[in-house]
Amino acid sequence: MDLRMKQERLFDEDVYTVHPEDYRALCEKLKADGYDFPRAVSAVDMGYGLRVVLHLVRMSDLAKVEVRTDVPYDEPVVSSVTDLWPGVEWHEREAYDLMGVRFKGHPDLRRLFLEEDWEIHPLQKRYDTGGYPLPGWQPAQWPDPAPWVEPPPPQEEGGEKAEGGEAE
Amino acid sequence: MSTISVDPVPGRSDEMVVNMGPQHPATHGVLRVVIGLEGERITRAVPHIGYLHRNHEKIEEARTYFQVVPYTDRMDYVSGTQNELPVVLAVEDLLGVEVPQRAKQIRTIFFELFRIASHLVWMGTAMLDLGAITPFLYTFWDREIILGIVERTAGARMLPNYYTFGGVRRDVHPEFFKDVADFLDHLERRMPDYEHLVLENPIVHARTKGVGVLSKERAIARGVTGPVLRASGVAYDVRKAFPYDAYPDVEFEVPTSPDGDTYARFWVRFQEIYQACKIIRQLLEQTPKTGPYKGKVSPRLKISGERYRAVENSRGELGVYVVGDGSDRPYRIKHRGAAFTNLQVIPDLFIGAKFSDAIAILSSLDPVFGEIDR
Amino acid sequence: MSYIPIPEDRHFRIKRIGYDPGRSRPWLERLVYSLYVFAFWGFVIATYAGVPALFDALGWTAGWGYVVMRATQVVMLFLLSAVIALMLILALRKYLGKVQERYGPMHYGPAGGIQTVFDALKLLGKEDFVPAAADWLTFRLAPAVTFVSSFAIFAVVPFASGWTLADTNVGLIYLIAVSTLSTYGVLLGGVSSGNKWALVGALRAGAQMVSYEIPLALVFLSVAVWGGSLSLGKIVDSQMGLWNVVPLFIPFVLYVISSLAELKHIPFDFPEAESELIAGYNVEYSGMSFAFFFLAEFVELFLLPALIVVFFFGGWHGPLFGLEPGTLAAGALQSLYFTVKTAVWVWIFLWIRATLPRYRDDQLMEFAWKAMIPLALFGLVLAAYMRLIWR
Repeated sequence: MDLRMKQERLFDEDVYTVHPEDYRALCEKLKADGYDFPRAVSAVDMGYGLRVVLHLVRMSDLAKVEVRTDVPYDEPVVSSVTDLWPGVEWHEREAYDLMGVRFKGHPDLRRLFLEEDWEIHPLQKRYDTGGYPLPGWQPAQWPDPAPWVEPPPPQEEGGEKAEGGEAE
Repeated sequence: MSTISVDPVPGRSDEMVVNMGPQHPATHGVLRVVIGLEGERITRAVPHIGYLHRNHEKIEEARTYFQVVPYTDRMDYVSGTQNELPVVLAVEDLLGVEVPQRAKQIRTIFFELFRIASHLVWMGTAMLDLGAITPFLYTFWDREIILGIVERTAGARMLPNYYTFGGVRRDVHPEFFKDVADFLDHLERRMPDYEHLVLENPIVHARTKGVGVLSKERAIARGVTGPVLRASGVAYDVRKAFPYDAYPDVEFEVPTSPDGDTYARFWVRFQEIYQACKIIRQLLEQTPKTGPYKGKVSPRLKISGERYRAVENSRGELGVYVVGDGSDRPYRIKHRGAAFTNLQVIPDLFIGAKFSDAIAILSSLDPVFGEIDR
Repeated sequence: MSYIPIPEDRHFRIKRIGYDPGRSRPWLERLVYSLYVFAFWGFVIATYAGVPALFDALGWTAGWGYVVMRATQVVMLFLLSAVIALMLILALRKYLGKVQERYGPMHYGPAGGIQTVFDALKLLGKEDFVPAAADWLTFRLAPAVTFVSSFAIFAVVPFASGWTLADTNVGLIYLIAVSTLSTYGVLLGGVSSGNKWALVGALRAGAQMVSYEIPLALVFLSVAVWGGSLSLGKIVDSQMGLWNVVPLFIPFVLYVISSLAELKHIPFDFPEAESELIAGYNVEYSGMSFAFFFLAEFVELFLLPALIVVFFFGGWHGPLFGLEPGTLAAGALQSLYFTVKTAVWVWIFLWIRATLPRYRDDQLMEFAWKAMIPLALFGLVLAAYMRLIWR
């Protein structure tokens, strides 16, 4: 399966950063691998877009995994994983409510904490703590290379060996 | 939050839509559940939360990490310092700071004391929901003793702001070990009475056995943690799974129960009180009376990186996801509430139950709205 | 325990009222509450012996004079029921405080003795309105129906030998009839409130009270069969040698349970479950209408233990120490015995209230229909058999 993703190991977790279109496929693969316990879904405003972070645990050997995906501000759509793990239902609603990430396929995507007829998503960086837009806030440039691209392997001093990456 | 999101279903004219509103003596806080009742049986249940939303996460982005710790206290206000620990541990991981063993032990003693306090509150209010008015006062008296001990050490009773990065803020007061040992003796004299009046009470059995059964698979899929998960038969406890502080050095068991009903949740919380007493007794012997209580952490923090760290709150897995950007203020903190995730099972458990069972189920889920709404 | 920080600001309060209400003086509490019991006793003597004596002295004993005398007794009993309710509310709160390791009302009067007066004033001062969605006439009448049906039980309760308002020879049937009327009050009150919660509470209350009427009636029948009469005075008389609780033990137990259910007392207080339905059928009532419901419940809290004493514990029987039965002194002593026994039973009811949680309503009903009615029938048959054999 050819997923556009990057895998690294932070502390004691496997962290996958994946293209938003392949997020769902990766989640299904992880569920098939046995990750059955959803810990949390967080949303982070990265300055250039919104990031959705999903934390999972495999109950059998207590392996932890984290799945991240970045979406741009003007189209913050990520597919929902509520049917894989029903426990993320309210976490996704909270991410929608506070950060504005829309989850496609969520059974009941309503605002959770705030009133139903509010328009802004206050946790984004464009608003200050009171909910008022910060004057002169501009989204940052999308990082290049994109977050889900595998970084090139570390350079060898004066060598021409390359293990599966581009040589510089 | 102003509209009813349960519309009358055409053809189902004998369904009465009742609003178990935000102000209700039995909802343990501000929860609104819109319930569709057919006679006495519940057919639909839609919970609405957010009445206590105080926007912790955005506010904490504008505070330094040291100022964030007292904000976290206010989440699960019944459990005091238990809320501070995830942030403290996450930042310690990102800093790579070394915590002295004595500080870890003191932190664990307070953690377990607040677990006992929280379960005592739960017991009083659960019995109040079921109709017995007296255990509430007995358990709050025991809790007063704990709060008195915490006040002597940390300065405040319920929301002590006691943990800090690298250890605890100040050393324990001189009679701390004697006070805690006296309290444990007192509690162990009281627990048989509680057990007799609560766990062995035939009326409690009639109200809670077989009521609100949560199956193991559903519990895991819903992300439920804490006593609710352990009452459904899954032995997942963050203290054993991803240990922290002084837990690797103490011996304790994780009580589980194969039935998933309300009585199992009651029973598991009782056993957790006993286990907490056991842990504290071991730690009272292991902790040196004097020694370091704080590691060296510079006040000018520079935290960068991300970390998700969780602890076993009285309600379940309380986690925090810290994203640092190199400064001394968090870029993003997200709190994963234990009761927040547990409350998602309300539609699963309410539907098909009777209305007064709903009260018993809700009290056994033990929600505290500071943590749910943040 | 020395490590509990005690607030040191109590001296502020002392300066304002002259004594420290936070300090508990057990001798004062016992004195005040015994005074209440003696006041009750004195009232009973005044009503049942004083009023007839007064009217005898005035010479108004026949015709209209008799009617006026009875009417005066009824008025005094109404005052007595108010005093009873006052005292019982206070006794409940103080007793709950004792059980729950706290003081209870302490502020008004010595050891909290006058507290209920202020509660009554508060209730009177509240606005007594009818909700827009409620049916005006039924809403207003329902508390009156409940109160009257509880109060009317006073008519047949024998406080001492001959000290009954109306010792009819169908006393038991009157009792069953009148105590069933309180179901009407509850149902009408809840249904006419225009509130879903009140409706649910009223339906539950109605169902519960009706289900528990049947074992109650069967127990009454057992007592009547064993005692040989339907009149309460004769039932008490028949317990001269042996209190009914010994031969009629099963009906006694069933009667206690049914009384708890009729009173909507814990463990059967589902209709007024405070932590579930807020207040059940009386949620829309405030002010004096609510006070009537409240009064009805507390008057019944006195009367149903009184009936337990009448039926099973020998009523006013007790050693007379050589006094002539029928005189004022004997009557006073007998009514004192009655008062003390009733007080013991009221205490037991309050004890149950402090201790137990409540049953769910379908469990209540199941218990009534499947367990209590067969047992009550069995008790009735047993009583009839024993009557045949031993009397």
